[in-house]
Amino acid sequence: MAFTEINSKMIQATVMPGQRLYSQRGAMLAYKGEVSFTPNIQGGQGGVMSMLGRRVANEATPLMTVEGSGTVMFGHGGHHIQIINLTGDTLYVEADRLLAFEGTLRQGTMFMGSQGGVMGMVRGQVTGQGLFTTTLQGQGAVAVMAHGGVFEVPITPGRPVHVDPQAYVAHHGDVRNKLSAALGWRDMVGRGSGEAFQLELSGNGAVYVQASEEKL
Amino acid sequence: MSQYAGSGPTVYDPMTLPVDDNVNKYTFCVELKGSQWFLQKGKMIAYYGSMEFNGIGHGRLDRLVRTSFHSPLHASDWVVAEGSGKMLLADRAFDVNSYDLEDGNLTIRSGNLLAFQPTLALKQSIVPGFLTLIGTGKFVAASNGPVVFMEPPIRVDPQALVGWADCPSPCHHYDHAYMTGLMGGLRAMTGIGGASGEEHQFEFVGAGTVLLQSSEALMAEQATGVVPHEPGVPSGGGSPTGPAQQAGAPRLPGQLGDLQRRFGL
Repeated sequence: MAFTEINSKMIQATVMPGQRLYSQRGAMLAYKGEVSFTPNIQGGQGGVMSMLGRRVANEATPLMTVEGSGTVMFGHGGHHIQIINLTGDTLYVEADRLLAFEGTLRQGTMFMGSQGGVMGMVRGQVTGQGLFTTTLQGQGAVAVMAHGGVFEVPITPGRPVHVDPQAYVAHHGDVRNKLSAALGWRDMVGRGSGEAFQLELSGNGAVYVQASEEKL
Repeated sequence: MSQYAGSGPTVYDPMTLPVDDNVNKYTFCVELKGSQWFLQKGKMIAYYGSMEFNGIGHGRLDRLVRTSFHSPLHASDWVVAEGSGKMLLADRAFDVNSYDLEDGNLTIRSGNLLAFQPTLALKQSIVPGFLTLIGTGKFVAASNGPVVFMEPPIRVDPQALVGWADCPSPCHHYDHAYMTGLMGGLRAMTGIGGASGEEHQFEFVGAGTVLLQSSEALMAEQATGVVPHEPGVPSGGGSPTGPAQQAGAPRLPGQLGDLQRRFGL
């Protein structure tokens, strides 16, 4: 457990020699001990090709590497922070929501179209994720930012969860998601309920939902 | 209605309002019994009872100002509340908290201080943009997110600093490690690759307490007035807002500039 919550908008991370953290640039609030912050041109792990991939996919958030020994406090822009501990499964999250994550996690970029083809791409547009999203896989902790508080909704087989695309933050586990449209003639004449699109997540895992429909 | 606990918002009246305590996270209630409080203009949202609010500089308050208000240059930002009743203070839904000082001193960012008892003396800090409270009494301060108390030695992002108590003044800490090596040299020369955004902190050492706010969104800066232009006074004669922003001025990542600072000249 590298991250501990101090309050809903601030976390504390323990840095030890040989362990590396990645965090969003400028998100450090305070630190104790000898800790160095290095801007990371590649925007995360992997080599130059990974960096190019992220640039093309527009998932390149300015990150920095945090190394040394001590404790660091992170927070950013008054957003609420949720710590997610991963135990081997994959977290799907937008890169600009990442506040910090442990170096033990493998960072990757996923094409939305690879989950459901064209519909996946449409889904990316509606949720504001774009065509690509960031994946983190392995053992470790991630701190994710959200507007308003975050709550976790478990997804179990046979009980799909419907989420407002704007309130969606992240999900992990073996989850299939699809965009369900409930468009009717009312929406065409501008008398819709405002909830025409929903994200339907089914499978086994958890989805994180923010208590606000405002994007970061 | 009242038999259902939590069925609606709590309704307060002059008797049930707390005395010198928080009503909720964002509102603070002050009780006046013929006493006086200093408060920043526009932070009073409601009051019960009979009170008057007088701008400082009002002839009758001259003596009060002389004993507990030592930064005459920004006196126009403050009013004195006087009378009896209960007064509610708030500031744009920022978290509000009260702090008790007992024969102590506390330095706070000028925009964060809402109100204080006249038993405290308010002075301008020699750190631009900060105010120091000395003495015994209660004051009310706002912060973006809950305030976290830390003990030195600690290095703090300038935007996350709310204030400090009983500490020697902070000093600037520059992290030059990010500029070493070939890539660091390139970065410093061209700005390509960007800065980590964390190459400058305030460093605190010694005994005391450092107050942090838990996010980097700053509250609006309050002008603390111009310090007299005389030798030996830091940033004396500067513009009212200039010096305060110089210290923690946000710089664009990768910006070429401040070459003198970057090379330590």
